[in-house]
Amino acid sequence: MTRPQPLLSLSRRYLTTITTPRTSTITTTTTCLLRSPQPQPQSRLRTITPRIRAYHSIHHPSPSHPYTNSQTTILSAALHHVPTHGFTRNALTLGARDAGFLDVSVQLFPRAEFDLILFYLASRRGLLRSKVDNDNLLQSAQPQSVDDKIKVLIMERLRMNAEVKEKWVYALAIMSLGENIPMSLSELYALSDDILTLAGDASVDASWYSKRVTIAAVYASSEFMMTLDTSAGLRDTEEFLGRRLAEVGAVGDKLSGVKQCLGFMGTTAVGLGKSWGLKI
Amino acid sequence: MSSRTVWRSFQTHARRRLIVPETPYRCFSCTRRAQEPPKSSHDDRMTHFGFQNVPESQKESMVGAVFSSVASSYDVMNDMMSLGIHRLWKDHFVRSLNPGSALPSRDHDTAGRGWNILDIAGGTGDIAFRMLDHATNINHDLETRVTIADINPDMLAEGQKRSVQTPYYNTNRLSFMQGNAQELPSIPDNSVDLYTVVFGIRNFTDKQAALNEAFRVLKPGGVFACMEFSKVDNSLFNAVYKQWSFSAIPMIGQLVAGDRESYQYLVESIEQFPTQEQFRGMIQKAGFMIPGRGYENLTGGIAAIHKGIKPLSRA
Repeated sequence: MTRPQPLLSLSRRYLTTITTPRTSTITTTTTCLLRSPQPQPQSRLRTITPRIRAYHSIHHPSPSHPYTNSQTTILSAALHHVPTHGFTRNALTLGARDAGFLDVSVQLFPRAEFDLILFYLASRRGLLRSKVDNDNLLQSAQPQSVDDKIKVLIMERLRMNAEVKEKWVYALAIMSLGENIPMSLSELYALSDDILTLAGDASVDASWYSKRVTIAAVYASSEFMMTLDTSAGLRDTEEFLGRRLAEVGAVGDKLSGVKQCLGFMGTTAVGLGKSWGLKI
Repeated sequence: MSSRTVWRSFQTHARRRLIVPETPYRCFSCTRRAQEPPKSSHDDRMTHFGFQNVPESQKESMVGAVFSSVASSYDVMNDMMSLGIHRLWKDHFVRSLNPGSALPSRDHDTAGRGWNILDIAGGTGDIAFRMLDHATNINHDLETRVTIADINPDMLAEGQKRSVQTPYYNTNRLSFMQGNAQELPSIPDNSVDLYTVVFGIRNFTDKQAALNEAFRVLKPGGVFACMEFSKVDNSLFNAVYKQWSFSAIPMIGQLVAGDRESYQYLVESIEQFPTQEQFRGMIQKAGFMIPGRGYENLTGGIAAIHKGIKPLSRA
């Protein structure tokens, strides 16, 4: 579908995070204007251009990611060794050697392998964002619904794992260790939040939460599926993902049906009571 | 039954004290009094020695006297004072450092084979032997070598005695040197992969000078790792711990090693040592990069592991 992005194409610029959902261009630009310390006429003109742009473009420096320069250098170098060595200390050590550090320098990473995994996840997420922003991943001839875009984004994110598919089970095992669960979950949340934001979801009610939970669950299960997938081009995973999303839609339909039914029965009961003379 | 054995060992200790001719300064377990500093001029810089203030020029010899005094009973005492936990700390320290290269070095690697480890204040070899064991047995690295440096010849002699029992005796993987950590002229710049100092740095006269010297001898990318007693973060636990350290430890010192003053000094010097955050600041000041939070508390903060990494010099 899209060309595979090699591991080499990593850099720090993918590591920024979106803090506020970009619901619409207008809110974005107004916030920019409100928060900019010294609004200059020229820059105001530029901000109002009706083009969707990253929230953190000029006036809001993106929140700095937690890695220092040396850490980023070593981690980026270590990712080259992941397809052969997996998410292990060995990959980190080789990365450190490639970056001109010593074997002992992996002490820079108190969480060892887990730091490598977190870096991988965060950078892939940034890569997904840049594919949408720069490579027009979601542009197509006919207009797509939010659900279609979500499917495209999840599939694109899963394809990024294809290169490390055999090693990913080990990474999942490390992520599920007790002390790593909170960080893994927050990274999963960040991913589902990014996917929904990029797909253009603009819900402002309770479904904001349920959608993020649902996407996270669908993504996590598809990721498991992918580790066992031997079909060409992850075809099985794609079908699996399609079935899961359809199920989510079906559950949503059922729920709204139940809600409608209950509402109908409620109003009927009230009407019936009133007709009997009850003071409701 | 077992209590009788312990009691007997106390008695043997006491008996041995009577038979073995004592060195002049420890005749009545009076390390500190024997070393009573003569009144010095006011312009001399002062430093801590436990809760006392002493001139900097004298701290070295006073600390020397303490450690000469405790050298032989060092391990027994550590076990009794920490209830054996110090072994767990040391094992954890070495495991987290993971010394030794598990991967064979490749052709284009600039780093030499094996690690060059400098263990400062490691006289009895506790850490050094553990690191060599880890490198050999876990990482199958037979190149990694450790230099044990200590300012105190008595502690070094204890380590040399113990090294006979290890497979590293008389090999080039283990060497001893006597030296002051604040000035290590025999060690060239940028030559050490890993610099460790375990329960030693609080006795240094000028800690910042020692950190600067560590920065000098480490290779770029090399690691400074230090384990030291620190501050307990839980106030309830702190109360219990203070009670233990100020009443029990000097008493154990008196019973087992026959030397109350030295152990009094130990607990006082622990109290005087900077907090985790202050010490991290000192490490940063020396030029090191700090990984993550910079320290790891052990057993609620009784001890803490500090790490710093020397940055690559950007030409």
